[in-house]
Amino acid sequence: MKKALLAAIQVAGLMGFSLLMNRLAVWMHLPVPGSILGIFVLFLLLQFRIVKLEWVELGANWLLAELLLFFIPAAVGVMNYIPLLEQDGIRILAVVILSTLIVMVSSGLLAGALSKRKESRAS
Amino acid sequence: MINEAVTYLTATLIIYYAAKWVYRKYPRVYLSPLLVTPIILVVLLLATHSSYDSYNAGGAWLSKLLQPATVAFAVPLYKNLQTLKKHAGEIVASVLFGSLMAMLSSALLARMMHLNGELASSLVPRSVTTPIAMNVSQMIGGVPTITAVFVIMTGLLGAMMGPSVVKLLRIEGDIARGVLFGTSAHGTGTSKAFELNPLTGTISSISMILAALFTLLAAPVMLGLLG
Repeated sequence: MKKALLAAIQVAGLMGFSLLMNRLAVWMHLPVPGSILGIFVLFLLLQFRIVKLEWVELGANWLLAELLLFFIPAAVGVMNYIPLLEQDGIRILAVVILSTLIVMVSSGLLAGALSKRKESRAS
Repeated sequence: MINEAVTYLTATLIIYYAAKWVYRKYPRVYLSPLLVTPIILVVLLLATHSSYDSYNAGGAWLSKLLQPATVAFAVPLYKNLQTLKKHAGEIVASVLFGSLMAMLSSALLARMMHLNGELASSLVPRSVTTPIAMNVSQMIGGVPTITAVFVIMTGLLGAMMGPSVVKLLRIEGDIARGVLFGTSAHGTGTSKAFELNPLTGTISSISMILAALFTLLAAPVMLGLLG
């Protein structure tokens, strides 16, 4: 119970931090969104021991474990595009599926080959 | 109003956790909670003649957690820094190659399927995280909101297809698997990668970040080349 409360407080803290990073990204006219800036800033804060791992770890773990849930409302938003999908849906689906397969195969096989080569060199 | 928002939020949570429970018992691709939950919700909304906007009054509370969840990637990055440093070369090279293939294949396949130019441009950045994809879409003459739809489609399909691709191609090791998920299916793929194991998830999150930054820098140049 105490753990859940602590995680909730940390989630709230990360929420506040990400809002702050949004402001910062806009204010600095950065082309990246606040959440990406936030990853870098939080990482540096952890690295330089300004933020201790146990201040954020529980909350971060919970957020990452439930990540899929946070995509659901965006997925429901596809309903606004039903006319577009009725017209071009099959072709769009074909592009997305084929292209995703191509990306998976090319990046996965290359990374596999490169790390295997490194291992055999090391041994 | 508040009542309605709470109802939709509760419905989303109940359907999602029920779908997750079913998926744990019957782990089939088509039973993936990320597919089943939105479909049930859309059917419910259409059946009750409710708009997405009224749904999203509640749904937005969940979407808002995406931002701190993205920031939370800093924690596994910090914890696995040594491994990441050791494998930086392979990760960077294969993510760059994968992202290049993502943009090229989206543009070319869209042209082969005779989709119009606006849709094709909206498809190009579809494999990276939504805010950056929308930004890129704007830059290259796409429609950002339509890009957001393609991004979520890519995420759903990628998270569903990923485990089978890994099995079929016998892709082994956390590095290759993480790169595969993060490069092809951004945050959604990354959450699938975290289900495999924490290190795969971490590699996937760094791949997702690299892919996003690279796409942001390269898409305008690429489009110029493709003409």
